[in-house]
Amino acid sequence: MMAGRVLHAQLHLLDRQLADQRDGRLLGKVDDVELDLDAEVPVVSALIAGGVRIPASQVIEIDTAIQIRRGDLDLDRQDDWVEQHVIDHIPGAGDATE
Amino acid sequence: MKRLVGVTLGILTAIGGFVDIGDLVTNALVGSRFGMRLAWVVVVGVIGICLYAEMAGRVVALSGRPVFDLIRERLGRRTGLVTLIASFLVTLLTLIAEIGGVALALELASGVQYLLWVPLAAIAVWLVIWRVKFSRLEQVFGLLGLLLIGFAVALWQLGPDWGDLMHQATTPRPTGNESWLTYAYYAIALFGAAMTPYEVFFFSSGGVEEKWNRRDLVTARSNVFIGFPLGGLLSLAIAGCAAVVYLPAGIEVGTLGQVTLPTAMALGQLGLAVVLVGVFAATFGAALETALSCGYTIAQYRGWQWGKLVRPREASRFHLVIIICLVLAILTLLTAVDPVKVTEYSVVFAAMALPLTYLPILIIANDPDYMGRHTNGPVLNFFALIYLGLLLLASIAAIPLMIVTKAGQ
Repeated sequence: MMAGRVLHAQLHLLDRQLADQRDGRLLGKVDDVELDLDAEVPVVSALIAGGVRIPASQVIEIDTAIQIRRGDLDLDRQDDWVEQHVIDHIPGAGDATE
Repeated sequence: MKRLVGVTLGILTAIGGFVDIGDLVTNALVGSRFGMRLAWVVVVGVIGICLYAEMAGRVVALSGRPVFDLIRERLGRRTGLVTLIASFLVTLLTLIAEIGGVALALELASGVQYLLWVPLAAIAVWLVIWRVKFSRLEQVFGLLGLLLIGFAVALWQLGPDWGDLMHQATTPRPTGNESWLTYAYYAIALFGAAMTPYEVFFFSSGGVEEKWNRRDLVTARSNVFIGFPLGGLLSLAIAGCAAVVYLPAGIEVGTLGQVTLPTAMALGQLGLAVVLVGVFAATFGAALETALSCGYTIAQYRGWQWGKLVRPREASRFHLVIIICLVLAILTLLTAVDPVKVTEYSVVFAAMALPLTYLPILIIANDPDYMGRHTNGPVLNFFALIYLGLLLLASIAAIPLMIVTKAGQ
């Protein structure tokens, strides 16, 4: 992924904030890390957040938050559910605050 | 004026910590029973919250990460969850008390029973969160809350024996019928109020709402070093008024009406009216601070999109948490529970949450991955560690002292 930087899975990956690299939208926390032990050196093959598997190829940058390429990953399911069933029924839900 | 508007986040945060409804009554109660003999605790508390809020502000400006985000990241999911539960409960209990406090202030001003004001107060808080821009909210309620300076003016007008007040402040021990146990209980209550966890949750999340970056380091610092000492000053002025009016008479303060009475004695009806607007703004501001913090803590622990910087529908779960908390506040208050008593119980949860809230801030403020060259210096770390020890001591002693003294009686 990134050459020349040592990452500590517990310190730099687990429980770190996930964000969409395009718009900065917050997409959950890293709950678990999937390791590929068949490779010559074990590598992180995916991150798990809220039951969704994020392949390492979609991880763009590991900064104070982990920037990912969202693609068609369904990381907003719960938020969308609350939006459709509750929040959108309240007037002004789609307005920016003044 | 522009300067003042730039530090309203710090002022509003401090008002929530130092002069919310529980503190208004506690400060006056302490003044009426101990005079200024506990004033040193407020000074110690102001220094502590300044140290840690400065770190939290610096972390936000440099990394964009608010405090609860860091708590889970450094403490892990399980310990993070314990901290979440404890700090969420303190914040929720305080929110309940603040909604009651807004209603009590409206009762004092209108004569209409406070229970009738409770639902209206909660809806008003929600409407402000739903519709009003973060910076406007912090300016309006931060600056209006400053009207509590009326207490300092009132203290001046009362013409107290300043030498006597100074003498009290420099003799830190209980007097008369008071025991060391009640003295220690109120010392912890005042210290806990000064460093109450939702202050750093709100302050750091507010920094994100205001889109702070490394150019805003100075803004973050001036918010801390102006806001919190001002909060401490207001709290000392309230205690001072009570020390002058009630201590010689041997009256123990227990209601909001008694808290504001010295301002009426010193400044007349107009002075009282100004202070009541201040009380309303401070409790309303604290209600906004705690309601938002309920949403901030859960959303940041879970990694949800949060904040008023996006439209409500884009942070649906965050807004749902706030709505549920406000409904819980209305239901609790309508059982006619005393709002001031509610804050006393929050001390228990605050005690558990305190060390676990501040430790991750200290760790991250020393992590060059986040801070680059702006990590803590050794002197700052030395004092931060002393305060961590004090917080730990307070958290261990709070619950036994509460039981032994029957919450300070």
